[in-house]
Amino acid sequence: MATFELYRRSTIGMCLTETLDDMVSTGTLNPEVAIQVLVQFDRSMTEALETQVKSKVTIKGHLHTYRFCDNVWTFILQDATFKNEEGHEQVGKVKIVACDSKLLTQ
Amino acid sequence: MANGNSGVPSVYLHVIDDVVNKVRDEFISSGAGESVLSELQAMWEMKLVQCGVLPPNIQRPAPPKLTGTPTPVHDLNVPYEGHEEYETPTAEMLFPPTPLQTPIQTPLPGTGEHHLYQTPTPGEYAPVGDPRDISELKGGRPSHYMNPPSPWLGNQRPLGVDVNVAYVEGREEVDRGGSHQSLTQDFLMASSGKRKRDSFTPHHPPAEGVIPQQDGSGDTILEFILPETTSFPHSSKEHKEESVITQIDGNNDDSNNSYRLQGGSSEIYNSPVEPAELRAPTPAVGTPRLAKIEVLDDDEPPLNEDDDDDEDLDDLRQGEEETQTHHLVLAQFDRVSRTKSRWKCTLKDGIMHINNRDVLFNKANGEFEF
Repeated sequence: MATFELYRRSTIGMCLTETLDDMVSTGTLNPEVAIQVLVQFDRSMTEALETQVKSKVTIKGHLHTYRFCDNVWTFILQDATFKNEEGHEQVGKVKIVACDSKLLTQ
Repeated sequence: MANGNSGVPSVYLHVIDDVVNKVRDEFISSGAGESVLSELQAMWEMKLVQCGVLPPNIQRPAPPKLTGTPTPVHDLNVPYEGHEEYETPTAEMLFPPTPLQTPIQTPLPGTGEHHLYQTPTPGEYAPVGDPRDISELKGGRPSHYMNPPSPWLGNQRPLGVDVNVAYVEGREEVDRGGSHQSLTQDFLMASSGKRKRDSFTPHHPPAEGVIPQQDGSGDTILEFILPETTSFPHSSKEHKEESVITQIDGNNDDSNNSYRLQGGSSEIYNSPVEPAELRAPTPAVGTPRLAKIEVLDDDEPPLNEDDDDDEDLDDLRQGEEETQTHHLVLAQFDRVSRTKSRWKCTLKDGIMHINNRDVLFNKANGEFEF
């Protein structure tokens, strides 16, 4: 199953990476196993987002930068508004990184 | 979105459990064992608690794995600010060393191998995902992921700068000085550097025997004039060949294609009145010096040297740094489209970190104005 490493940059992914770093550097964990854990995280996170999350969001804003490279879109928005059923948030600057969803189904 | 993270903890706990359950075999077969696995889980969850993503008292349906290391009560003196987790929270910040040391320091076969882990990390992440992702990972967490500076950079640069500056300027002088020495060279120069200026001035009628003037925009007639007006001892056939070379550089001549083929690459960058089709292939670079450098084919690196000074690059670097620390959306795209300056995109399966809060979405529609 193909996965993205994209989600490793999320909060939960960063926390896992730091944990693994700590454990490997103290010798508690074999580095190869640590890699396996990360790969499993990629899978589990992708699957959880598919199956456990139902909410919808609308994003509006001024597109400051766009970039499409290696099948990854990167947008940098200014004055962006995020809306979902629970309310809305406003941020001055936000970066959106999106991988091609078709790559997972191949 | 005030309570936008309502569903987040349960999803995160689900992910943690899923990962832990599915790597258990790996841990056992590698000799690490269950205790290391539960330590991993406890540390992971504790970090999430400290980030403010998970509630301090984790309510999970069946709390199986919290046995080994009890989650410390949310330690008070951790100098950690949740919103900075995309910067570089060091292990020391997050974990005062003492309480977190493993009770059982499991001796591993691969104990000495932790160097292996650190150095190849970027490379080992690489195969699965996109390279850009990795580079940004590196940027975000320099201590672990930064590559050592490439040695060749240090070697090449200073050399390149000096040689380039000295050489190019000298070369320009030589070119100017030598351009009138021979007719052929004048032809070449006319077709590379000078034509731009000439094309601004009103076109002179071809003067008798003065060949260097045959480079204006209207001189397709040169072919016929040359044999009459010149006093060369060559045959007229040879003249025709020469004149073919020189005359294909005017604005209105009808052989732009051959113009482009014949060393035209250096000209494209110069002329402000160039037809758009000639300018199009290489719009980015454009200094008059380029034409000179192009003649010396051993001067590639100095070209890039100029790019480094470019303010664009600094902007880019600054932009990257800024965006590293800001709000972030990680998702997959289904479709991205643009109509004029209006962009639309459909995203799915995303994790957002907005205003210090994690928000997950199944679908997102974006409408941006560029």
